Amino acid sequence: MADKKEIERLEDIAFEVRSKLLYLCGTYEGAVHIGGDLSAADLMTALWNYGLKNNPNNIQDPGRDRFILSKGHSAVLMYIVMALRGFWDFDQMVKTYGKLDSAYGMHPCRVQLPALECSSGSLGQGLAMAVGMAISARNKGEKHRIVCFMGDGETAEGSVWEAATVANSQKLGNLVVVVDRNKQFMTSYSEELITLEPYSDKWAAFGFNVIQIDGHHMGQIMDALDALPTVDSHQPTAIIANTLKGKGVVFMEHNLGWHAGRLSEADYQKAIASLRKHYPREAGKE
Amino acid sequence: MSVTFNFDVLTSGRTVIGDTLDEIGKKDERLYVVTSDIGGALKNFRADCPNRYIDVGIAEQCAAGLAAGLALDGNIPVIMGMIPFMTMRACEQIRTAICYQNLPVRLIGTGGGLTSGGGSTHNAMEDIALMRSFVNMSVISIGDPNMIRDILYLGMDYPGPMFIRLAQGKEDHVIYEPGTIKYEIGKGIVAKDGDDATIFAHGEMVYQALEAASKLEKEGIHVRVADMYSIKPVDEQLIVKCVEETGHIVVLEDHLMTGGLASVISEVLLEKGIQPKGFKKLGIPQVYAGFGSGEELRAKYGYDEAATVQAVKSLLQ
Repeated sequence: MADKKEIERLEDIAFEVRSKLLYLCGTYEGAVHIGGDLSAADLMTALWNYGLKNNPNNIQDPGRDRFILSKGHSAVLMYIVMALRGFWDFDQMVKTYGKLDSAYGMHPCRVQLPALECSSGSLGQGLAMAVGMAISARNKGEKHRIVCFMGDGETAEGSVWEAATVANSQKLGNLVVVVDRNKQFMTSYSEELITLEPYSDKWAAFGFNVIQIDGHHMGQIMDALDALPTVDSHQPTAIIANTLKGKGVVFMEHNLGWHAGRLSEADYQKAIASLRKHYPREAGKE
Repeated sequence: MSVTFNFDVLTSGRTVIGDTLDEIGKKDERLYVVTSDIGGALKNFRADCPNRYIDVGIAEQCAAGLAAGLALDGNIPVIMGMIPFMTMRACEQIRTAICYQNLPVRLIGTGGGLTSGGGSTHNAMEDIALMRSFVNMSVISIGDPNMIRDILYLGMDYPGPMFIRLAQGKEDHVIYEPGTIKYEIGKGIVAKDGDDATIFAHGEMVYQALEAASKLEKEGIHVRVADMYSIKPVDEQLIVKCVEETGHIVVLEDHLMTGGLASVISEVLLEKGIQPKGFKKLGIPQVYAGFGSGEELRAKYGYDEAATVQAVKSLLQ
């Protein structure tokens, strides 16, 4: 069972991550993919601050776990989590975000930002790259994991299942897929027009060790990361995290209107107030 | 400047690929071969480097993405495939996972032009247009089968992605005396000298151009043949030199007449303000060509050897 203090530490970071997401959504002149950022915020926080081996002082550290953001439109969430982790300065990132010649844009670009493991943004392409990295790591006898972070919507892409087949064929115990199963696409809800269920069974049928969790329950996320098989085992893992798009801001939750958007000053105040209610420890500080 | 050639020796380009990959693979652990269920010629590599022989099944998108992942970890992956499926099914992965990240992935495709015998699903007539449009991508078209060996060795240290096009690669005419040519990315070869006109060709069409030139020679017409194996980057100096020295030019290729070498040469000349005395494109028109052998289809669509001879004559009239 996850340590209570550690749970609280991560929850506090997740609160700060969400606050900064809302701040950016209120100040940046373009749209932010806020719905899917909020659904992924707890998972991303736990990965970078608990589950992943990573070293902000040495981005080339050969022992680091490799993080592939297949749902590239959550780049800004990753930039914020990595800023809080010490990879770069948050204010500096916000100042240039989305602007001409910035390293930080709507979708991750490894050429501009070498701390990233790969560029992404075209959905359904991350897993094949992760499989290639996992094969290479295994052949070199390296002990790090390859973690591919996906949205459930992008798993409609056939390329995902091609790569899943190869991950199973190659018996990649060093590969971990994390799916942010927020059950909402850009224009419809899961199962409304596109049927994805039985979702976890699909990953199991493709040979994955499936761990189902509540993707907003920090203790469950930590337990799942603690329960990962060793890298030299022979089965890839899929953590299917049930989440809520817009989580933490009541008027954004389960709302197709908030796949992406901007916050007016008034909405920003409402969003922050809503977020504080979600985090009793933060509300108590007032 | 002209180079010795011998039309009688046939070699399988695929065998050269298999032998070379095995030779490099045993020494250099960076080399991976990624295939989508093809690779009869890869038996030795598969036996000698089993961990670095990755068959993804009939899944070209996965092959391209997986190769990008291998390259991101410092490896040099070679993807083997049939051109239409490799370049079109996985077109976006090639562009976004490989070219956008500027990764040293080598894509070796067989079945260039109308040589597949499989009909329009299997013909490769758009590949050069597609691949050359991608930023960072180099495009090489193999005529002499022995060239592949040198290109694969060059490829172990050449930056960025590379597309290497073959025709069938089963019975290829050896054009150059082995060991006499120093291949360079971005260069062309004058395979036969002449000053009445130049035929620019690539791939299997170099051999056809030489055959046509040899026929014309008997009629007193001295045609130069330029082997433009490096389509991107292209040897601009050679293009200009040939136009300045021979005036008339024919571009011959087993590819659509739009988007391939004819377009490359047109762009170079127009940009430099150079007007050839005469210009003729020979290649695939805007059709889905259908069934038949490569030779039959080239005759049907007007770019076989006889048509090449005729094109030169009509320019010189």
